[in-house]
Amino acid sequence: MRIGVLWNKLADPKNIPRLFAFSLGIILIVGLIVPLALNPDQLYVRPDPQQQIDEGLPLAPYDRGGEPLKEAGDINPQYPENAAVLGMITGYMSPLAEWVSSISPYFGTSIYSSPGGLIDEILYYTRGFDTILESSILMMSFIIASWLSINYTMNRKNDSKEIKKDVARAVNDSAHLAREVKANDAKARSKQLRRDN
Amino acid sequence: MDFITLGGNLLGTVPLGDIVLYVTPFNLFLFAVLLGFTLLIGLSKPETQIEATMHYLNNTEVKVGSKELKQRRFLSVICGLASAGAMITGDLFNFTLFMALIGILNIGIVSAVKQTSVLNSAFNYGLIAMMCSLPLFGGAAIILASTGTLSLAVLSQMSATPMVVFGAVLMLIGILGESGVAPFFASKAEMFRTAGSPYIVIIHLSSLFIIVRAVEILLLVLW
Repeated sequence: MRIGVLWNKLADPKNIPRLFAFSLGIILIVGLIVPLALNPDQLYVRPDPQQQIDEGLPLAPYDRGGEPLKEAGDINPQYPENAAVLGMITGYMSPLAEWVSSISPYFGTSIYSSPGGLIDEILYYTRGFDTILESSILMMSFIIASWLSINYTMNRKNDSKEIKKDVARAVNDSAHLAREVKANDAKARSKQLRRDN
Repeated sequence: MDFITLGGNLLGTVPLGDIVLYVTPFNLFLFAVLLGFTLLIGLSKPETQIEATMHYLNNTEVKVGSKELKQRRFLSVICGLASAGAMITGDLFNFTLFMALIGILNIGIVSAVKQTSVLNSAFNYGLIAMMCSLPLFGGAAIILASTGTLSLAVLSQMSATPMVVFGAVLMLIGILGESGVAPFFASKAEMFRTAGSPYIVIIHLSSLFIIVRAVEILLLVLW
């Protein structure tokens, strides 16, 4: 294949998502052979998954200790000086959550684990700006979607210019068809005539 | 590499919990230019185009309607603010979020147009933008897992391991796709073929600035 053909294919918007998906796939496959070196000393650190389960804690693997408003839990932020009272509500649980954790050893694995404190503290305190941005992405997509659903830009039903163009195309097509039928007819007629003679 | 070598003296920081925005002359310049341009877009009127017809003498005027204008102006101003924010952020994950916001706004700005070819390429760009969320957020997550931090100030002091390099490459392909650099340019370039110039130009400008900033971030992370 000549390189010019390749460049022309690259200029077609239809081919671009496929090309992108292909190159992304190649990079992800290469990623399988990259050696993994996890840093155990991370932000918002958690104990090893099995450690708390072996200790028999009801909140395993999410127990970070702490007592609401008295003793800070273990969160380990990047800049502790910017979040002075971090960890103070990490240990908070709603009455329902406390009751479930008292009767079940699997509370930590359920959807209502970390009921109040921990998620709120990371989402709205140390990384609050990220949460603002995430919800504004969502808000912008809702704005675009609702505008499009009210002013349906792909709608061509009432577009007079588009209708005129479609009619012209249809007339052209039918004229073309009629011409072809006529030509075939003449050909068949001449063939028949030749056979008769 | 650290901030001083790349952007000049540190003029100050804006601490927002773990996300610390930082201001160097380089970042401040990019930020101020984008804010100024956003202001101009908010105030200016969109251009109109004249479409010539082959073999005939009737030319048609392509105008931006008032409803369309409001929507596109609003989205362009938000796009300008988002790109300005991406210029001074000091957090890797924060940067990828700004990037995702700019991507969705770019689709929004052209989705208000009525031309089929433009909408078609916007759809193709939307497919890429959707795919880009995987390398962008995945790259940031891999860098977090291998270094244990997302703060650029801390990352710039660390040496790069193979896993960090892989995370950076993932982020790079996400940025390339989202900002429509070659060889993924066609769908984004076709989106500009319509009237309403200052709103269209912010798509272009935000990609340019994001690329400059991405190069700085990759140098901070890798060097």
